[in-house]
Amino acid sequence: MARGILVLFLFICGVSAQNLVVKNAGRKVELNLVYSHLLVPYPSKIVQNQPQLVKYSGNAYPFLPYEVVSAKTVVTLSSNNIESYTKVKPVSVTDTSITYGPYENLPAFSEEEITVHYENNAPFLTVASLKRWIEISHWGGNIAVEEDVDVLHTGARLKGAFSRHEYQRGQSGPSSVASYRTFLPAAASSIYYRDDIGNISTSRTKILEDTVEVELTPRFPLFGGWKTKYKIGYNVPSYEYLYSRGDNFILQMRFIDHIFDEMVVDSAEVSVLLPEGAEDVEIVFPEYPGIEKKADSIFKTYLDTTGRKVITATKKNIVENHIQDFQVKYRLPSWRLIFEPLLIVVACYLMFLVIVIYVRLDFSISKDEAVEARMKAAGVLENVLSTQEKRDAIYTSLDAAIHTLKSSKDVNGFQSALKNINADHKNLAQSLGDQVSRLRSLGVPDLADKILDLQKLDKTLKDIVGQQVSLAERLVGNKIAKGNYVTEDATLGKKREELLERIHSIIGSL
Amino acid sequence: MVTSATLYNVLHWLNFTVDIRNVCVFLAPLFSSLTTIVTYHLTKELSNPGAGLVAAAMISIVPGYISRSVAGSYDNEGIAIFCMLFTYYTWIKAVKTGSLSWSVICALAYFYMVSSWGGYVFLINLIPLHVLALMISGRFSHRVYVAYTTLYCTGTILSMQIPFVGFQPVLTSEHMGALGVFGLVQLHALVDYVKTKMSTEDFNVVFQSVISTAVVLLLGVAAVLTFSGKIAPWTGRFYSLLDPSYAKNNIPIIASVSEHQPTAWSSFYFDLQLLVFLFPAGLYFCFANLSDANIFIILYGMTSVYFAGVMVRLMLVLAPVMCILSGIGASTLLSKYMKGLEASSPPSAGASEKKAKKSDPQSFLRHEISLAFVAMMTFMFVTYALHCTWVTSEAYSSPSIVLSARGHDGSRIIFDDFREAYNWLKHNTPEDAKVMSWWDYGYQITAMANRTIIVDNNTWNNTHISRVGQAMASPEDKAYEIMRELDVDYVLVIFGGLTGYSSDDINKFLWMVRIGGSTETGKHIKEADFYTPQGEFRVDKEGSPTLLNCLMYKMCYYRFGSLYTEGGKPPGWDRVRGAEIGNKDFELDVLEEAYTTEHWIVRIFKVK
Repeated sequence: MARGILVLFLFICGVSAQNLVVKNAGRKVELNLVYSHLLVPYPSKIVQNQPQLVKYSGNAYPFLPYEVVSAKTVVTLSSNNIESYTKVKPVSVTDTSITYGPYENLPAFSEEEITVHYENNAPFLTVASLKRWIEISHWGGNIAVEEDVDVLHTGARLKGAFSRHEYQRGQSGPSSVASYRTFLPAAASSIYYRDDIGNISTSRTKILEDTVEVELTPRFPLFGGWKTKYKIGYNVPSYEYLYSRGDNFILQMRFIDHIFDEMVVDSAEVSVLLPEGAEDVEIVFPEYPGIEKKADSIFKTYLDTTGRKVITATKKNIVENHIQDFQVKYRLPSWRLIFEPLLIVVACYLMFLVIVIYVRLDFSISKDEAVEARMKAAGVLENVLSTQEKRDAIYTSLDAAIHTLKSSKDVNGFQSALKNINADHKNLAQSLGDQVSRLRSLGVPDLADKILDLQKLDKTLKDIVGQQVSLAERLVGNKIAKGNYVTEDATLGKKREELLERIHSIIGSL
Repeated sequence: MVTSATLYNVLHWLNFTVDIRNVCVFLAPLFSSLTTIVTYHLTKELSNPGAGLVAAAMISIVPGYISRSVAGSYDNEGIAIFCMLFTYYTWIKAVKTGSLSWSVICALAYFYMVSSWGGYVFLINLIPLHVLALMISGRFSHRVYVAYTTLYCTGTILSMQIPFVGFQPVLTSEHMGALGVFGLVQLHALVDYVKTKMSTEDFNVVFQSVISTAVVLLLGVAAVLTFSGKIAPWTGRFYSLLDPSYAKNNIPIIASVSEHQPTAWSSFYFDLQLLVFLFPAGLYFCFANLSDANIFIILYGMTSVYFAGVMVRLMLVLAPVMCILSGIGASTLLSKYMKGLEASSPPSAGASEKKAKKSDPQSFLRHEISLAFVAMMTFMFVTYALHCTWVTSEAYSSPSIVLSARGHDGSRIIFDDFREAYNWLKHNTPEDAKVMSWWDYGYQITAMANRTIIVDNNTWNNTHISRVGQAMASPEDKAYEIMRELDVDYVLVIFGGLTGYSSDDINKFLWMVRIGGSTETGKHIKEADFYTPQGEFRVDKEGSPTLLNCLMYKMCYYRFGSLYTEGGKPPGWDRVRGAEIGNKDFELDVLEEAYTTEHWIVRIFKVK
C-alpha cells in the first residue's frame, strides 16, 4: 500500500440484497475503493535524514448496510516497520500486513476505528492542479497535447536545513523524490519538458512497445512541502484519435492521462481546442461523477479570423483509475481547409497592390519642375546611350564586312551589306537628332550641345570609315598595291581610334 | 520595452499569438538587421553605394556588435545602436539638404534613442561637436543652421518627456556642450547676417565687442549656475570616460564591472579583426575627400576609438563606425585596383588590342599588382568572415546561465544550477521573501525566481550595494545585524569550488570588500585585512583570519571541508583557487543551509 489507499472488500452476501442476489443464492461481488489523502504523515515535520511515518485511520469492519456473517480486513503496508496499530481482536501481524478478523455476525453499519502508524517512504506526490490542453489541427493531421502540472510533495514536511552534502552521499531523504516516470501514448512524438524559464534538460525518453516512457527529473529533488511546476507536451497523429465520415468528425481521447504511478490529481481542467469553423459540437464525457463542463470560449491564434472554439471541463480528485476516453463530435465543412491559405494569398495580394498604387502616386505638395526635367533628361540620355551603342555595333559589323570582302572578294555582296549598314546608320543619326531637340525643349541645352558634338565627331568618323571602305574596294579591285593599302589603312585606323576616344570621353561625361 | 510591447500587441491584434518571450528574444536580431540596412544608407550618404554595401556586409557579422544582438540578448543596446545609426543617417541627410523634415525626423530618431539607452549622451555631444568642427573649418552654412537648431530644440523637448531624463538636458554638464553650441550657432548666424549688411571695418568693431561680451557673460552664468548647484556636476561614469584611472581610484562600484574596464589591445582584434587595419585607410580617404558628412564620420570615428579604449562596453559604439570607415576604405581601394584589372582585362575591340600590345611595362606591372591586391583583399575578407563566425560561436552564443563543460570522455556536461536554484526559490520560499545576493544576480533572481532582492544590476544607491558588501565581508554576528537591518530572509551565493567555475563570489569578493569599505558605514572594513601579510589573497590555512571567518567565506565553504572534489587531493579542495580550504568543520550560527544545487554552484541560506 503506497500512495493512494486501495481497499479491497471481498465478501459473500448471505442476506437480502434486493437487486443484487436471489434469495439464498450466493454471488461474488468485488468492490474497489480508492481513497486519496487518507494517509497523514505523523510526525508532520521531519528532518532530512529521518524516515517518513504515516498514520492510516479506517474501519476494522466492512462498512455495509447489511448484516455481515463473516468479515476479515487485511491492511497491507509498504514496510514492516510498524510503530503501532489498534488491536481489535482477533488481529495478527505478518511481515508487512495486519489482518483483522475474521469477525462473525456483524450488524449493519458496524464501525470500529483503527489506526495504523508505520513507516512509508513512498513518494507522496500530489498534482495540485493539472491543465490539459488538446489542440486539433486538420491541416497538420496532428493533435497537440500540453499538460501544465503543479506537483506538490504532500508527505511529511522538511524541517530545518537541506544539506546537499548529505543528500549526495545518498543516505538521507528516503521520502524525497528525485524523478518519476510518465507514460505517454505510443504515438507521441516531439515531446518537450519545460517550465517558465525554459527547457529542463534532465529528462530521458524511452520508446516501449505500447507506450513512450519519459523519465522526468525536476530541477530539484522534492522534499516534503516542496513544490514544482512544469509543462509537458507532445504531438500525436490525428488518425489515431480522430474519426471522420464526410464532414463529421469524432475525437476520442483520454480525458486525462498517466502522470506518475498511483497519481492523485486534486483538480484537473481539460480543454479541447477545435479547429476554426467547427459546428454542431457535441461532447460525451466519461461516466464519472463530479465532472463539470465550463462555458465555451474563443481562442485566436495564427491566421484565425473568427477564432476557435474551446470546450473545457473540470474534475476534482482524480486517480489513475479515472483514465478513460471521452468524445467530441463536430462538423467541419471541407472548404475550411483552404480558407487559411487563401487568406495568406489575399493578404499578400493586397499588400503588393497597395505598394503598386503607392509607388505610382505622387504625394508631393508642389511639383518640382527641375527634378522632373532632370528625370526626363535622364530618360533621353538613356536613349542616346543605347543609340550610340548601336552605332558602335554598326561600325564593328562594317569592319567585319570589309574583312569578308578582302577574303572572299565578293563585291556585290559587300555592296548590299554596305547599303544596309548605311541605312541603319542614317536612321540612328536621325533619332539622335530628335533627342537633341527634345533635350533642348527640356531646358538642358548643355546636354544637347554635347550630343551635337557627338554627332559631328561621328560624321568625321563615318567619313574615315568611308575612306577605309573605298580603300578596301580598291584593294579588291587591284587598284592599289598591298603595301600601300596597309600603310594608308593604318593611318586611317589611327585617326579613327583618336575619334573613338573623343567620342567615348563625351559619352563618359554624359 | 515599449518596442517589444508594441510589436507584441500588433502581432496579437493580427491574431499571431507569439509569446512575449519570443518577441523579446528576437527583438535584438530584428533590430540588428535594421542596423545593417541603416549602415548601408549611412555609408551611401558618406561615400558611395559600393562602400555602403561593403560596410553593411561587415556590420552584419562584426563580433563587436553581435555580442549585443544575438537572439536572447534583450538589452537596451540592441535597439540603441540601430537608433544611433538612424539618427546619424538622418542628421547627415539634414545637414546635406538643410531640409526641415529631415531635421525633425532626426529629432524623432534622437527621441527614440534617448528612450532606449543612456548612451544617447554620446550622440548629443557628438552632433554639436560636428557643428563646432564645421564652424571652425568655415563650412558653416544655412543648412547646418536649420538642421542643428531644429534638432536641438525639438530633440531636447522630446527627450525631456522621458522620466529618466527629466530636466537633465538643461541642468547637467553633460548636456551643456550641446546648449553652448546651440548658442554659438545662433551667434554665428547673426554674425553672418550682420556681415552682409555692414562694411568690413564697422563689422570688426561690432564683432569683437559682441563676441567678447557674450563669451564673458556665458562663462559667468555657467560658473554661477555650477557653483550654486543648478548644474549638476559630472557623474563618476563620465569622469572615468575622460580619465581611465579615475574610477579605479575613487568609485570601486564602477570599476568592479568588467564591462567598464579599459579595453585590452587583444580585444580590439578579437572583436573587430580586419577592421582594425582598414579603419585608418577609410579615415584617410575621408580626409582626402573632405565634406560636411565626412567630417562627421571622422569625428565619430576618433571619439569612439578613444571611448572604446577606455571602456570595454563602448566597443559597441565603435563597431559600427569601424565598419563604415572600413567599408569606405575597402571599397575605394578595391574600385581603384579593379579598374586596373579591368583596363587590361581581355580586350573588347580590335582597337584596344593594339593598345595593349603597345602599352608600356609599367602598365603591365599594374595589372599584376592589381591582381595581387584584389586577391589579398579577398583572402582578408574570407578570413574576416571565418574569424567572425568563430568568435560568435565561441564567445557570444552560449547562454551565460547554463554552463557547459567537457567531461573526461569528451561528452558535454551541462551545469544548469542557476535555473535549478532560481526555480527552487520561486516555488519553495514565501512569496514576500527577500533575497540578498551580490548585485550581479539581482536581475536574474527577480526575473526567474520572482522574489524581492536587496540590490540588482540597476541599483543606483551606492550605499545600498556597499551595505551588502559589508554584510558579506563581516563576521557572522556583525553580518547578522546588517541582515536584520536590511530585512533579509535568504542569502544567495555563487560558489565554483566544486566545478571550477571561476567567476564565483569568492573571486569577486575583493570587489565586495572594496565597495563595502568605500562608504561611511563600512569604514572598519579594510581591504588589507583580507590579504596575508605577504599581500596574497588565499583561502587556505595561510589566508588571513578575517577572510576565513567572514560571512561570504563561511557560506561558500559550509560543509565543503568534508567533500572530496578531486582524486588525489585532500577533502575540501577548492578547484578554482587550487587550494585546500583553511577553515573546515564550522557551523553557521545565524544561517541555515536552505538549498544547494547539484553542482554546488548556487548556495542559498536562510536567515534564522
